[in-house]
Amino acid sequence: MSDTPDTPGVPEPPPEPPAETESGPKVGVDSWVASHEGRTQRGPLGWLAHGWESTPDWIKLLAFVAIAASLPYWLLRSEGDLFNFGLYTLLFVGFGLGLNVVVGYAGLLDLGYVAFLGIGSYTYALLSSPYYGIHWPAEAVIPIAMLAATIPAAILGFSARRLLGDYLAIVTLFFAEAFVVFTNVANPVLFGKGLTGGANGIPQVDPLTFFGYKISSTKQEYFFLIGAVAVVAGALYLANQSRTGRAWRASREDPLAAEVMSMPVNRLKILAFIFSSAVAGLFGAIFAAILTAAVSTQFGIPFLITIYAVIILGGLGSIAGVFVGAILINCTFVFLEPQTDHPGFKRWLFYGAIIVLVALLKPWYKAVVVFVGTIATGFVAHAVVQAWGGSAWTGGKTINGASWLSHWVIIPKTSHGNFDNILYIGLVVAMVVVMMLKGWWRIIALGPTLYLTAVVWENVLSENPGVTALILFGAMLVGLMIKRPQGLLGQARVEIV
Amino acid sequence: MAAVPEPTSPTPLLELNGLSMSFGGLKVIDNLDLVVNQGEIVSVIGPNGAGKTTLFNLITGIYRPEAGQIRLGGESLVGLSPHKINKAGVARTFQTLRLFLNMSVIENVMASQYGRTKVDVVRAMLRTPGMRREEKAIRRQAEEKLSFFGQRLMGYRWNQPAYSLSYANRRRLEIARAMATEPRILLLDEPAAGMNPTETHEITELIGQLRDEGGYTILLIEHDMHVVEGISDRVVALDHGVKIAEGSFEAVATDPRVVEAYLGTKAASTK
Amino acid sequence: MHHLLVFNIIDQIRTLGWPGFWSLLRNGIVSGSLLALIALGYTMVYGILQLLNFAHGDIYMVGAFIGYGVLQAFGGAEMASFPIVPLIIIMFAVAMVGSGVLGVAIERVAYKPLRNAPRIAPLISALGVLFFLESSVQLLTNSAHVLYEGVYLGGNYPSTFGPLLNSVFTVDGIPFTTVDTLVVLAAVALMVMLVWLVYRTRFGKAMRAVAFDREAAAMMGIDVDRVISMTFFIGSVLAGAAGVMYGLYIGDTSFTLGFQYGLLAFTAAVVGGIGSIPGAMLGGLLVGLFQNFATGYVGGQWSDIVVFGILIGFLIIRPNGILGSKAIQKV
Repeated sequence: MSDTPDTPGVPEPPPEPPAETESGPKVGVDSWVASHEGRTQRGPLGWLAHGWESTPDWIKLLAFVAIAASLPYWLLRSEGDLFNFGLYTLLFVGFGLGLNVVVGYAGLLDLGYVAFLGIGSYTYALLSSPYYGIHWPAEAVIPIAMLAATIPAAILGFSARRLLGDYLAIVTLFFAEAFVVFTNVANPVLFGKGLTGGANGIPQVDPLTFFGYKISSTKQEYFFLIGAVAVVAGALYLANQSRTGRAWRASREDPLAAEVMSMPVNRLKILAFIFSSAVAGLFGAIFAAILTAAVSTQFGIPFLITIYAVIILGGLGSIAGVFVGAILINCTFVFLEPQTDHPGFKRWLFYGAIIVLVALLKPWYKAVVVFVGTIATGFVAHAVVQAWGGSAWTGGKTINGASWLSHWVIIPKTSHGNFDNILYIGLVVAMVVVMMLKGWWRIIALGPTLYLTAVVWENVLSENPGVTALILFGAMLVGLMIKRPQGLLGQARVEIV
Repeated sequence: MAAVPEPTSPTPLLELNGLSMSFGGLKVIDNLDLVVNQGEIVSVIGPNGAGKTTLFNLITGIYRPEAGQIRLGGESLVGLSPHKINKAGVARTFQTLRLFLNMSVIENVMASQYGRTKVDVVRAMLRTPGMRREEKAIRRQAEEKLSFFGQRLMGYRWNQPAYSLSYANRRRLEIARAMATEPRILLLDEPAAGMNPTETHEITELIGQLRDEGGYTILLIEHDMHVVEGISDRVVALDHGVKIAEGSFEAVATDPRVVEAYLGTKAASTK
Repeated sequence: MHHLLVFNIIDQIRTLGWPGFWSLLRNGIVSGSLLALIALGYTMVYGILQLLNFAHGDIYMVGAFIGYGVLQAFGGAEMASFPIVPLIIIMFAVAMVGSGVLGVAIERVAYKPLRNAPRIAPLISALGVLFFLESSVQLLTNSAHVLYEGVYLGGNYPSTFGPLLNSVFTVDGIPFTTVDTLVVLAAVALMVMLVWLVYRTRFGKAMRAVAFDREAAAMMGIDVDRVISMTFFIGSVLAGAAGVMYGLYIGDTSFTLGFQYGLLAFTAAVVGGIGSIPGAMLGGLLVGLFQNFATGYVGGQWSDIVVFGILIGFLIIRPNGILGSKAIQKV
């Protein structure tokens, strides 16, 4: 076809290519990067990571199902443990799987996710409870709940292009708030009753009943949830491996390039949004059936942050990460609960986490300096306060055992005005200072800060477990974004600018 | 500038008529006419800020022109969204590389076949036979396009994330990604930028191969005059959005207005 | 009998009459001024970093609590050991500086390390800060609602703040009190100062340069980090001032305040055109008016939903806001 040959009379022909160009991947930057990546993962951790990566995904899922199914027979024997640890973990997996589609795959910050869970929940509760006297079976109500959750998602998504950018976060956050106000306060009257039951919500929801088979005991619900979670995880995995999944990830990476490379980015984003809300509708409905109620205040912002913590801790975009995140977050929650069967455990969880984090410091002698600093600060501070204020300031005892700790941690016998608040604010300030310091200064400052953390923990936090969990999740989100944005199981990302 | 000089009687593939675009009162493209014929390699040159990349953005639908027409094979592209323009047969690379960095090399090339494949997500979740067949075809196409670059992007590199590639390989991957959309015309935005002389030579040959073996029509922006000289059938010089010269490389390179645009008035007059 | 919503609204307008209208207008203007002050912080940070700083609403809430803390330190509203004018000035000063420092600390800790991260990272970090602040205040205050006493209770208490409820002028029998006037005037004064700072000083020029193109500004010798810190400081100072004004005007402060007002203020910033300083002021006023008229004529339980509808409507019809300019995507 070429109508003109190479431009004639070229003054100086380009230099001959040296022969090395075809020599393959032996030299050059890429192979160095490749071997470098192999090199960074040595030792037992690297071996573990390698083993994990080389295991086929369906085997991982099977292993999960097998282990989870065996749990009620050895680890979670009591009804309460099975409910708190087992059921709730699986529910969080389900919630996380849905959120992971929109945030992890498509890269959209959907802060209204809890509202979609709520819509699924209320749909199930209205169509399967004595509230309006409708008792439809689950095989009919669950698809309706999924559809009901996708409709507002579709309306939001299609209504404006701009909604798919930054504004999606704020619009969906507002949507979540509006949902709570609507169900809790507005509660419009329909068929002679408030549609959403106001602050009381809708009680006495029917258990899940599929084709006449009722799922009502905790164990039945647990096994049902294992199946539901496995099916949804498998389906989402296959979706992610398809052309649509690739397009989701491409439009998350670079929307403009994706659009130019034939991917209808807006439509894909809306699809992810709808997909995620359908999963939310499904697990919202199951949630209502398991709690036997739909209550609007449940679907507030603390719930949202917990689900975000689940998917971010495990690693955005990773299905296995959702499982890991759900297990870690839910167990943290259960152990922090005030009326748990394991009262002393949360202390060991807390100190254990701190010790592990410090031990990860490199090189090893920095960790030693921090440990020594922490312990020394404690004894010095305790002695000073004892000398100055006497046992009114140091004579208190720790709650839930470990009373020997009160020789190291300052615990006032009686409350001293705003002592707790000053301690807490002092800790926050100390942490900010530590983050701004560099090098050895940071290491030196870390010891006293950790001691202060222990004091605040014993005096303030362990007495307010619910709030503490939220504070920790908030701090964790910030910390993870700064130190390890890919989460525990996410892919490492190298930025070359 | 009424008609474009035509050496033979070729079929026009891409036609731009009276194209104009401005940002905040500044004319970036001013009443531009340009024709790229089937099977041609046309280079666009011009100093920085001449409007070359804007021209690409207009053709690929990232910007919408204020006036003028863009036709591909007689069909108007104006007002179509970028993904539809790609489906119509226009693919491009970016001057500032825009790969999907956290996806693997082969996934980058598989992803760009979205527009020319069909299986929806429901069938993907059910793993229907049709879906498997299409998935295989997508992979085969990706492997084929990557093999165009010899050993550069083959073998173990397929499953490496794109961020692990060197700069030159990233440029190659961008071209492979654009090729996988099976375009009728390829727009290459400075394919040799940031490459060493060896790599530049290689990419020059490759662009020639793309036309001769791949059958692509190519519109190229390039600063490296060795590349432009080596492969262009025709060269178009832009300055401040206006076409100031068009023709063979020599004619354009020696055109006083082009010299002036690159070097300033004084240099031109002393020459 | 079921009434259509429209008829309900018309009924309500008839019942409230002109006095009702004036009082809703007054409330709208006052809370609109507050929202405008908060919206400015959102819009400035967005303009300079393209970051939705979710935590901004909580800075406002912390400002309200700092003001309350100062008031308590001087003995509380009922038996303040101080004359009213200097007391209010001290409350404003401490809350503004405290909020400003908090804003800078948040920027340093949570956003600065993420300057070059993918866009979603700082957003999630902001979400984390939102939670951290809100839960921390919940912990510190024991979830309590606190009042800047006297004001809210209609002056039935012997209060230092009693004079604030004196009527300055009345329209149709509806009083415009000292505190109403004070809030509006203080907000206007702060906004005038801000406009002067941004459009008339060297620092303002640097700020606008960074907002326009951060890298180019850095190459021109502008200390980008300092400019960003200052932007957070100024935005947070305004939020802190708004917090104290809220305390004086309405009084009922709790840890959830930041979230509620944050959403409204963000809506105001979007309605006005995010990134635009006059837009945030106009948007704040509009959202304040809408919210109050919706409360009066449709019902308080619907006001959030009405404002949400307005937000969606704006994003569909005029996505760049009233005064926003069209963004050009750089390729």
